[in-house]
Amino acid sequence: MANAITETVRLTIDGMSVSVPKGTLVIEAARRVGVMVPHFCYHPKLKPDANCRMCLVEVERMPKLQTSCSTVATEGMAVRTATTVVHNAHKSVLEFILANHPLDCPVCDQGGKCDLQDFSHQYTATSRFEETKRIFQKGYFSPLIETQMNRCVQCLRCVRYCDEVMDVKALAPVGRGTMTEIKSFGDHPLDCEFCGGCVQICPVGAIVSRLSMYEYRPWMLKRADTVCNFCGDGCQITVQTKDQQLIEVNSAQGAGRNSGDLCARGFFGFRATSHPSRVTHPLIRRNGALVEATWEDVLEFVAEQINRLKLAHGPQAFGGLISGRCTNEELYLFQKFMRLTIGTNNLDSSARYGHINGVQAMRLVQGTHRWTVTFEDIVQADVLLLVGTNITEANPITGLKVKEAVKKHGATLLTIEAIQPAIGTISNISNLSQQHLCIAPSQFGAAVLGLLKAVVEGNHVDNTIQQQAPDYVSAVSHAVQQLAWDDLAVSTGVPHESFVQMAASLAGGRRVVVLAGQTLLRSQGGYGICVNLLDLLLLTGKLTTEGCGFAPLAEENNDQGAIEMGAVAALLPGAHDLANADARAQITRAWKEDLPSTAGATLIEMIDRANAGIIKGLFVIGENPVGSLPPQTGVKEALGKLDLLVCQELFLTETAALAHVVLPAAPSMEKAGTFTNTEGHVQAVRPAIDPLGDSRPDWEILSAISVFTGVPLEYGESKEILKEIRAVIPGYGSLGPSPIPPAVNPMVVEQYVTDGYRRDLAGRYTLPSRTVRQEGTVELGLVQSLFHSGKLSTYSKGLLEVEPSGYLQMNPVDAARFGLTTGDRVRLSNRRGEFTTTAKVFDRVPEGLAWFPDHFAQDALRIFDCVVDPDTKVPSFRTVSVSVMKTT
Amino acid sequence: MLKHELILLKNMMQPGYTGSLQDYERAGGYQALRKVVGKAQPAEVTAMVMKSGLRGRGGAGFPTGVKWGFLPKGYQGPRYLCCNADESEPGTFKDRQLIERDPHQILEGIVLACYAIGAETAYIYIRGEFVLGARILEQAIAEARTAGYIGTNILGAGITANVWVHRGAGAYICGEETALLESLEGKRGLPRVKPPFPATHGLYNKPTVVNNIETLANLPHIIGRGPEWFASIGSPPKSTGTRVFCVSGHVKGPGNYEVPMGITFRELIYEQAGGMRSDKPLKAFIPGGASAPFLTPNHLDVKLDFESVAAAGSMLGSGGVTVMEEGTDMVWAALRLMEFFYHESCGKCSPCREGSSWLVQTMRRIVAKRGRMEDLETLVDLCKNIEGRTVCAFGDASVAPIMGTLKHWRPEYVALIQEAEAANLIKLEPAGRH
Amino acid sequence: MLAQRAASEGPRWTRAVRAPSIPSPWVGRQGNQMLKEKYQEEIDEIISRYPVKRSALIPLLYLAQRDEGFISEAAMKEIAGLLRLTPPQVYETATFYTMLNLKRVGKFHLQVCKSLMCALAGSDTVIGWVKTKLGIGPGETTSDGLFTLNAVECLAACGTAPMMQVNEDYYERLTEERFDKILADLKQDGTCSLKTGPFMWPEPAPAKPGA
Repeated sequence: MANAITETVRLTIDGMSVSVPKGTLVIEAARRVGVMVPHFCYHPKLKPDANCRMCLVEVERMPKLQTSCSTVATEGMAVRTATTVVHNAHKSVLEFILANHPLDCPVCDQGGKCDLQDFSHQYTATSRFEETKRIFQKGYFSPLIETQMNRCVQCLRCVRYCDEVMDVKALAPVGRGTMTEIKSFGDHPLDCEFCGGCVQICPVGAIVSRLSMYEYRPWMLKRADTVCNFCGDGCQITVQTKDQQLIEVNSAQGAGRNSGDLCARGFFGFRATSHPSRVTHPLIRRNGALVEATWEDVLEFVAEQINRLKLAHGPQAFGGLISGRCTNEELYLFQKFMRLTIGTNNLDSSARYGHINGVQAMRLVQGTHRWTVTFEDIVQADVLLLVGTNITEANPITGLKVKEAVKKHGATLLTIEAIQPAIGTISNISNLSQQHLCIAPSQFGAAVLGLLKAVVEGNHVDNTIQQQAPDYVSAVSHAVQQLAWDDLAVSTGVPHESFVQMAASLAGGRRVVVLAGQTLLRSQGGYGICVNLLDLLLLTGKLTTEGCGFAPLAEENNDQGAIEMGAVAALLPGAHDLANADARAQITRAWKEDLPSTAGATLIEMIDRANAGIIKGLFVIGENPVGSLPPQTGVKEALGKLDLLVCQELFLTETAALAHVVLPAAPSMEKAGTFTNTEGHVQAVRPAIDPLGDSRPDWEILSAISVFTGVPLEYGESKEILKEIRAVIPGYGSLGPSPIPPAVNPMVVEQYVTDGYRRDLAGRYTLPSRTVRQEGTVELGLVQSLFHSGKLSTYSKGLLEVEPSGYLQMNPVDAARFGLTTGDRVRLSNRRGEFTTTAKVFDRVPEGLAWFPDHFAQDALRIFDCVVDPDTKVPSFRTVSVSVMKTT
Repeated sequence: MLKHELILLKNMMQPGYTGSLQDYERAGGYQALRKVVGKAQPAEVTAMVMKSGLRGRGGAGFPTGVKWGFLPKGYQGPRYLCCNADESEPGTFKDRQLIERDPHQILEGIVLACYAIGAETAYIYIRGEFVLGARILEQAIAEARTAGYIGTNILGAGITANVWVHRGAGAYICGEETALLESLEGKRGLPRVKPPFPATHGLYNKPTVVNNIETLANLPHIIGRGPEWFASIGSPPKSTGTRVFCVSGHVKGPGNYEVPMGITFRELIYEQAGGMRSDKPLKAFIPGGASAPFLTPNHLDVKLDFESVAAAGSMLGSGGVTVMEEGTDMVWAALRLMEFFYHESCGKCSPCREGSSWLVQTMRRIVAKRGRMEDLETLVDLCKNIEGRTVCAFGDASVAPIMGTLKHWRPEYVALIQEAEAANLIKLEPAGRH
Repeated sequence: MLAQRAASEGPRWTRAVRAPSIPSPWVGRQGNQMLKEKYQEEIDEIISRYPVKRSALIPLLYLAQRDEGFISEAAMKEIAGLLRLTPPQVYETATFYTMLNLKRVGKFHLQVCKSLMCALAGSDTVIGWVKTKLGIGPGETTSDGLFTLNAVECLAACGTAPMMQVNEDYYERLTEERFDKILADLKQDGTCSLKTGPFMWPEPAPAKPGA
């Protein structure tokens, strides 16, 4: 949404006049008047390469035909795309391309969606070629992506996409002339991010997905446009099905917040929920074992138990946990069920694991529960600061926006991440940084404090805030003065000058966006660090400026929605405080019932109460606390003590295995609803296939339980729930193409800089504790993998081909010190316990740290401590010190 | 015998001349540099070059002074000079002689050019096969650096010009200026889309000038003896100065001959190069390297200048004149050149990549006496579809041999095809079946 | 400092071909050592010539080829690391150029020019001699690993055709007699005095009085 007046030029295309912004390519100008110039190598996301020569057009006063993809429109240009000369030129280029193209249509997956096929048909191409076509030997290319190089038209779109957009550079055109083929490195299989971008962008069938090879023709497929259910980026996907089978997922060019880009999870992970071990029938525990039962049986049982326990112990004896993978409607209905049908505020969601830290910080300082910026602002930013995001692995599509900002628009990237700038088979955001600070997660706080100190000492504090809130500014300045540069250098390993430089870069930006990710949000003290980052924006005068903002990245697809729907103990729908009188009044009006006012227990508090025998009944919807929390929390014992454990699940997880009742839920592929992505944009979820077996959408199950208990919350379809949400939250989520971010609330900022900042200032501005690393130990961190999301993706056959299990990733220097090479068995131990895994040497792991993927960490969790944030109640268990020993 | 003053080959023709710095200085070398560096304005040097009428000696013949003038005025930042020593055009071997025998002449020209265009770094992109040439250049650069002609603070005037030798690795296409830049940047040598032109977006996207070795070797003389003198030689105003022509093929004395522009091919071939090797009549000759369409004995009196050869339907090109005597099979000759283009096609754009493979296979069939009459039509059609449709001039060059030989010696093609049909070696349905 | 060293010694990479008595760089390398350890200074000097690291790619590939006789995957990976490229990026460049060998060639790589101008002077005959005398055709290597033949495109020696390049040396104006001598000398000494350069053709006539 550019406010500046853009210069335009006027030109004619086939006699039609059109005005376009200066710098527009002729092929794009033609599209605006509905003229589709045929092309292969042109793509709006890529730099024009003009190699296919298919887009030739006539331009007045230019002697030769020009490629419209590389010709910039100029004032008064007259272009003709449909003359005989042009038509014959197109035909001749087609003839050339078809010369070496095999007659593979009958066996080629691209048939029916192939540009070459379509143009051949359009131009009734003939080929006089009767020489010998060149042949490439077909070899195994990778577990997920296959190449058939005979079909390649050498448009190089795949290579350019992998380079310019993804910054991975895993594909290479090899050889010269007509014998050029696309390979990776030698005869080695492709090892990359498996984003599927090359598969999507190939105009012919030279690069295809192995997951659905030979299974279909495009016209046999039914399509459903929906939103991916893995990470918080919220990518628009098109799910293609045939006879109730999931065949393929792709994303239409330019579609959604992701502009048609996807990641490995979205593109290849779609068969997770069709895994054979999916629970498709209700299960009930009889004689100690879970057996199949009918819906009536289980619902009756559950309702009976609810009423019994409620009568005996009251509503506070119940708790509920829901996954941030559920739709907004389900999250809303869940909290309504807990608050109304059950009568308690003891409810929480997976947002508690970290995302709530970022949101509470935003609510405190700027009075919004959503970002004040969008992906477009990230792309248009001139300075981007990333703190603890591991953005390629956790939020890859947001990562693409960052890459676009840097590579296409020259943005300055500043990163504070626990990663080294090493080049590898997946992209590494710190390679694009103008300034990168490699910081251990436990010291992120120190790095941010260093930055704040440099901002204050470097006279980068904005004059306006200085005048409007002098007490606040002086309090913060005083606080940073207490910190010594020497101590900061010891904590972070970063010298004073680096902070000075980074502060100057940050302060010098006009459009500054600060992104905080999972690694920061889930770490100890994450909330305080987020508030400090907001202080940073405030002090430098950026918080309320256009194009600037703070952007905490949501981990799961609907963590943002969970908070907005009030599926957390302290918040009501609309992300209002439980005690907010106006919000309570609104909701009471809509529900026609009073809301419980007793403060609710959060995740860990519920577990403690279950252990203490206070909570007797727990509803767990899509969550797996036994598999996700360290045993130190006592979660398994706690759940074992419950009188009623109801699990709504897709699979028989560790938690579901303890349940009294397991209710088969339907995943997002099988139901309708909405998700809210990390930007706060609400998007429609549409079913691609019917629920498998007897499974039902979570909202239907909750509704059914409520009916059986006698406090019915009845809805015919999820749209009705959405309608109610709109009534309860005025102005809630229009399902338009882009988000409408809220503005910073000046009154809340006023409140914060007058009073709000004081409350925990001292604590926030204290250096995090630092323990000297013992000999023979490393700081083990749980990390997100690019190829997985939570535990759900570990059911996906496709993703398991790329990453089938967890291994310990370690820096080469550390590995050498421990005598480890890739493939060796290694034991990690501390006072809590030990666990054994396989080592992998990985040069982007910083020295002194080691990584283990969260998704396979069920056994590893036993050696982690859990520390709960006093403000936000977020349980942190991401890093722990361990001894390392090679073993057999 | 044509009597004319040698300019570029003068020094090396002196007995005992080794090409060392000493020899070059003794022969009057680096005087032009002394005359200009720190004394004349860079713009003056460009003006002199423009006035001389010097045109590029690589093949395209673009006026050098005009090319220099395309650099953006008032631009603050690095500029580059790239010296094209990728001599790979079949029939051409003049740069090799200039490099190996008189490297300092080139170096002086490079520094003069750097001074004129404001470049502080020059890269000599020399084809990988010229191992000896690269070594000679590096030793010459070292000598010149010690003597203060190259490096920082040249001749004490505070001017910087660093010259590096960068070896290519075997790709004819890297003689194309934008492909050269890509190769210098460490990538595959694929030509770039123009516009933008190297003058504004060249090496590392900075303003760059790419000049041929022979072009640069002329600079010390133009500056030293004045542009008017240079402009009076040859065939003014359009084709001034001398050129080193490379005569090869069926002549008695093949080799490099420096002559003023404007002499005729007859004079070059019969007087300079000693005439036909076995005194058989001349059947055909290529005027300017493999990219230039063949010419016939009727063109022997065409003048060796840019306009005249173009008017005759060919091009002066790289200056490689190849002579073919009576008895040479023209179809075979066209095929041999087509094999070259097929081997060297970079593969970027569809018409050239697929077209060269198609053309070479058809030509092989015809020569192997398995051709058909339709093939001739197809050949012409394909050539017309490649010409003007490609990213760079390679496409136009690659169809020159076939177009040229078909135009003047069509009966030879027909004869081969008739032989094929008579021998009944191939019986195919007409083209169009697929 | 660099300039002084260069002036006195000549650039490092050419030292291997400086004097006729030094055998071809192919001989005797096993390539187990990392290039960086062996050629640290030279690598640093090469990289320092360019403002963008990637430009050093072809020079470094030549270095690796000089070291091992061909460019191995390990070398390509190491070079990728040195220049902050991915291995596929190094690979794509290495496969574009004909002089960069990804496979070993014989001790003497006979590269006979087959372009039209040499063909007019009888290059096909030279290739025939190789077939008769060494028993190999284009693309083949003798069983003792000594000679590999390749028919290559124009080597810019058209006036002195027919000719061939053996490793880094040009041998021009070939006759059968000269060809036999070249083969014999190569087998025996590893080099031959008939190699040409610095090139000039035709050579000037001896000075005549009053000319």
